Amino acid sequence: MPNAIVVGARVYLRPVEVSDAETLAAITATETENFMYRGRMPYSPLAFASGIRDGYTQVPPPSIAFAVCLRADDRCIGMVGIDGIDFVNRTGNTFTDLGPADVRNQGYGTEAKHLLLAYAFDRLHLHALRSVVMEPNTRSVAALMKQGYHAAGRLKWVDIKDGRYHDALYFDVTRADWLAARDAWRG
Amino acid sequence: MRSILRVRGFTSGRWWQATAWFDSPFPINADRAETWLKEAHANADRPNRLHFAIARVADDAVIGGVTLDTDYRKARLKLHIAPWLPDADALRAAALRLVHPWIRDDLELMTFVLHIPADQPATIAAAEALGMVQGVRFREGIARPGHRVDELLYQALFAAWAVRDA
Repeated sequence: MPNAIVVGARVYLRPVEVSDAETLAAITATETENFMYRGRMPYSPLAFASGIRDGYTQVPPPSIAFAVCLRADDRCIGMVGIDGIDFVNRTGNTFTDLGPADVRNQGYGTEAKHLLLAYAFDRLHLHALRSVVMEPNTRSVAALMKQGYHAAGRLKWVDIKDGRYHDALYFDVTRADWLAARDAWRG
Repeated sequence: MRSILRVRGFTSGRWWQATAWFDSPFPINADRAETWLKEAHANADRPNRLHFAIARVADDAVIGGVTLDTDYRKARLKLHIAPWLPDADALRAAALRLVHPWIRDDLELMTFVLHIPADQPATIAAAEALGMVQGVRFREGIARPGHRVDELLYQALFAAWAVRDA
């Protein structure tokens, strides 16, 4: 587990390396489901590499991204992270970008998200986290609710999909919400 | 009723006023403020982040700042008021009453969003009087001395652009 920061039973989180850019661009470019985005986009690994470099230039950073890796073979299967971190109000926005399709529906995403929330609440001592989901993305909504997030509301006309404006759905989670959800997930 | 405030572009030479308009709890000195403002105004061709000064009509003193992040269809508005002023809520409400019709009628945006702490009744009342609707309530999103308050997201939805719900 090279450079691991948070370790779970099957996955671990480590800093994103510039050498991950090819993998992350490929995950995004080969995404087979695009109901959660406006449409497909052929991302360049050069852009990912630039973003990864920029992400380590400020301390404390305004955003933190982790590579999600499988403990079994150290394979990077995507990213989780927090952006828009406000160290005064102690809030931030979480994001998840996992692929390829063969790693889905195996619980890796839920485990990675619990590791991210543990890092956010117990190491950064953030008070509340938010997440935003485009309205058609019911899969992410279901995942957030399992992770302890509560519906916070919606903003209208946020983005276009299939020729129509769609709303963005907002969620928030406090440490107490997350602990209850994590206990339920662990059984 | 004439406003006691005006919103205008930034001008050179008043860098020492930066804490009035710089939207951060961290200090900024005059030297850094000059550099920051010049960098923020490097491009006049529809920049995606617009900065304006909020000034008192009576003496043109800068008492706040407007930041508008926009793709020229939607926007996110921030209104910062000088931290030494005791009536920041009322001043923010007055600034919103100036900026709202400008965004609607001159920029002709479809919509914009303003984050308002739940303990700012004058700004909330101004937003609602202008027809803005509360779309989101983030629980305990704002830190205050010894307690926390909710953070509200109010959205202006301009009727000229109304679209059918998906």
